[in-house]
Amino acid sequence: MDEFQEILQDFLVESFELIEQLDQDLVELENNPEDLELLNRIFRVAHTVKGASSFLNFDVLTHLTHHMEDVLNKARHGDLLITPDIMDVILESIDLMKSLLHIIRDTSSDGGIDVADCVARLDVCSSGGSLSAVSTQDVSMAADEIMEVETVEEPIVEPDYENLSEAEVEAEIERLLKQRQIEDKAKRDAKGSQKTEAASSSESVQNEQPKPVANAPVVAAAKPKPALSKKDEDDDDGDDVRAAAPAKKAQAVEQTIRVDVKRLDHLMNLIGELVLAKNRLIKINDDVEERYEGEEFLEELNQVVSIVSLVTTDLQIAVMKTRMLPIGKVFNKFPRMIRDLSRELNKKIELEIYGEETELDKSIVEEVGDPLVHIIRNSCDHGIEIPEVRMKKGKSETGTIKLKAYNEGNQIVIQIDDDGKGLDPELLKTKSLEKGIITEKEAENMSDKEAFGLIFKPGFSTAAAVTNVSGRGVGMDVVRTNIEKLNGMIDIESQVDVGTSMKLKIPLTLAIIQALLVGVQEEYYAIPLASVLETVRISKDEVYTVEGRSVMRLREEVLALVHIGDIFEVERIMDSSEYAYVVVLGLGTSKLGLIVDTLVGQEEIVIKSLGEFLKGIEGIAGATIRGDGGVTLIVDVVALMDIAKRVKKSAIADSSSDAALAKREKTKASDYAVMIVDDSKTDRVIMRKALEPLGITLVEAGDGQEALNILKQGEHSFDAMLVDIEMPRMDGYTLATEIKKYNRYKNLPLIAVTSRTSKSDRMRGVESGMVEYITKPYSADYLASVVQRNVNFKSEFLR
Amino acid sequence: MSDKLKQIISKQNQKVDEKVSRADEIVQLVGFVIGEEEYAVPILSIQEIIKPFPWTRVPQVPKYVVGVFNMRGSVIPLIDLRLKFGLNTKKHNEETRFIVMRNGDDIAGFVIDRLTMALRIKRSDIGPAPDTASGDETAIDGVGKQADRIITILKVNKLLERDF
Repeated sequence: MDEFQEILQDFLVESFELIEQLDQDLVELENNPEDLELLNRIFRVAHTVKGASSFLNFDVLTHLTHHMEDVLNKARHGDLLITPDIMDVILESIDLMKSLLHIIRDTSSDGGIDVADCVARLDVCSSGGSLSAVSTQDVSMAADEIMEVETVEEPIVEPDYENLSEAEVEAEIERLLKQRQIEDKAKRDAKGSQKTEAASSSESVQNEQPKPVANAPVVAAAKPKPALSKKDEDDDDGDDVRAAAPAKKAQAVEQTIRVDVKRLDHLMNLIGELVLAKNRLIKINDDVEERYEGEEFLEELNQVVSIVSLVTTDLQIAVMKTRMLPIGKVFNKFPRMIRDLSRELNKKIELEIYGEETELDKSIVEEVGDPLVHIIRNSCDHGIEIPEVRMKKGKSETGTIKLKAYNEGNQIVIQIDDDGKGLDPELLKTKSLEKGIITEKEAENMSDKEAFGLIFKPGFSTAAAVTNVSGRGVGMDVVRTNIEKLNGMIDIESQVDVGTSMKLKIPLTLAIIQALLVGVQEEYYAIPLASVLETVRISKDEVYTVEGRSVMRLREEVLALVHIGDIFEVERIMDSSEYAYVVVLGLGTSKLGLIVDTLVGQEEIVIKSLGEFLKGIEGIAGATIRGDGGVTLIVDVVALMDIAKRVKKSAIADSSSDAALAKREKTKASDYAVMIVDDSKTDRVIMRKALEPLGITLVEAGDGQEALNILKQGEHSFDAMLVDIEMPRMDGYTLATEIKKYNRYKNLPLIAVTSRTSKSDRMRGVESGMVEYITKPYSADYLASVVQRNVNFKSEFLR
Repeated sequence: MSDKLKQIISKQNQKVDEKVSRADEIVQLVGFVIGEEEYAVPILSIQEIIKPFPWTRVPQVPKYVVGVFNMRGSVIPLIDLRLKFGLNTKKHNEETRFIVMRNGDDIAGFVIDRLTMALRIKRSDIGPAPDTASGDETAIDGVGKQADRIITILKVNKLLERDF
């Protein structure tokens, strides 16, 4: 990056930061037009941007900010009262400034936006003329003039410099002083947090220094929102405080450093690795503990493991904190928005903000902005009534919207309350029916809460007409999509004529999450805990089928059910037990019951992407690495809910169909398959010799484990198995028990072939599901006949 | 000074390029067998060759994508080349290997029946892919001739391309 680019980057970062605070200040200013500190601060932003942009040769931006500065400067000196009309012009110019900055960021030049019109109006303001008195023609004429001036004297940064007005001279002085202040700032310092001290010391400074400077220290003394946490103080304020308290020497100058987000991301990735390693260590520790119970070194190992895991957790939290931003960054733009909307809609609306210091991961802060805009627009347009209506209802003329943010467990809750007309569930249902979003049957069964959820359906709108502000039925759908993307939930409460309260619950961070691990057959899946409402155990007869879909009754509600195996195409080889577990998933306003075979437990998992090759698999949000080194897939709850709608019948496994499949028509002797499981090669050969004359297919396995693996592969469909009892790795009894767990092999005849002859052995054989018991030694004919009998060997195949 | 530096750097780059082009005449490949055929890929595209170990099935993908596995903390897709090339699946045995190939940021493991050897083939001994299997669509880069056998050289970027 060359030098210019570097400076440009700094300029942009600084400007965007300044502007962020600006909107809020401006709206505040409208309420207290006399507030000198506010005016000063706003003035300084315009001024700083102007100074820097002229240095960087952004002529259009300089031109605009210069005129803004004029108006603000007049206001600052009491020559001009800020009326709402003037405010509109100032706000417009600030919007222009923002768009210019965006263009600069994207293209490194400031062309493409016509500022002349706005500049003309700014001039009218600063010359003291009333805007309403100026006809539009005048404005456009003025604009033309300015345009000419611009085209002729483009390279000149400040075209009106020749005829400096008194105010401008002052501005120039102010600028110079300000420059000096900035220079001094390096040497001087005061801790940003010691505001009161700064304020008191500023009084003494005031006496000694020339007048124009006196303004600056006072700014630091009071902020419009004392509730703002002290560490959030923007640089701008800090500078002034430092300048105002020369007694304090430079120390706090380098309190913060800018860090490239990429570095933080990298750090977060490394922490992720560490968390995985920690999980693994804990698992190994458990294993070791089991094996060497009572040994002395165990205690030491335990200590080390717990320290490592403690420090890892702390480290993870600390790194997560470096990525946290106060949500105030998002909230800041709303006062301005409310102001514009209330003027546009002719309503009186007040916005109250609480908890803007609440911190959220950077990536999440970026994502919640849009949803909040839509919710607040909605509240203004549909929620808050016009003043006359409010009066009639006996409410105060001014409607209130409250925006709150607070922590709740592992989540952040953003709450938006309005005291408007509230949501009418019946009206919502009728509208949805009209638009064909729901069926009549659905409408009948809908609870009030579910009806409120209808406002998030795409295409839904209660507004009679599409206005500038809302009514297209898109906004709330955006809210739902964005919040679901963050694994968040939406909760609505509303009462007709009292108001609506919306809660957005969003997880603190995205990279490392708490997950519920569930098992289905032999596979495991991780479900983000943020989306899990509860888990319940149900028996099979609690599942009902309604219109081809499984449902269950959960307290007062009817919950749609889907089996995780149906969604992820899991082969149902094992018999499902009497009971199943239902994980109740909640997302936004919808709920779904997910049937799983087992609940494994809660674990902290690190989300890893599946990479370019496998991205975008429906229903899978990513993968994580478990303590044992295996990969477990993470369920994408949003997609899962969509898939669930398409899955028709999803009852708990129907055992008869699988069993029937296994019995296929036999057309020749080799269609019969028998597995021989024995650890002794000789024994296997003897059995093979005895059965080969029948012409049936024979498969051999050396022990129980191998036999089980062969069964699982499902290459052959076996008609019987000859099982030795004494075997390494897995003995015959265990094998039989394992086999009986599989649905498909429930009726597979198992024939024990053993030298164990005692009664108890026979009993155990029967218990584990063996149908025949052949004791060694046996005659080949006897073995063949037993096998024939058990596989229902058709006599015509006998040679 | 920066001009001088640039000159030096560009000179160095040239040297490197020269070296590469000279070495280019011999292509180093790793050969492996799938079914009856012998295939090869450039040795530099291979990150590692490992013995099979457990993987996790992934739903809603073609059959030849058998799942994902953990390679030192990275989650990597596993593709069965037998299935991809239209052969039947075969039980893994002592000779089965996973070859992890990389092309830029794309990475995947491939199940192969067995390894043969590292090959050095002269560029002049590599013929183009047969007409019926040429063009952008095919995964065949060319056909290498060596003594008594013919080796199909595969395009790694094609193998790593998602085609579903």
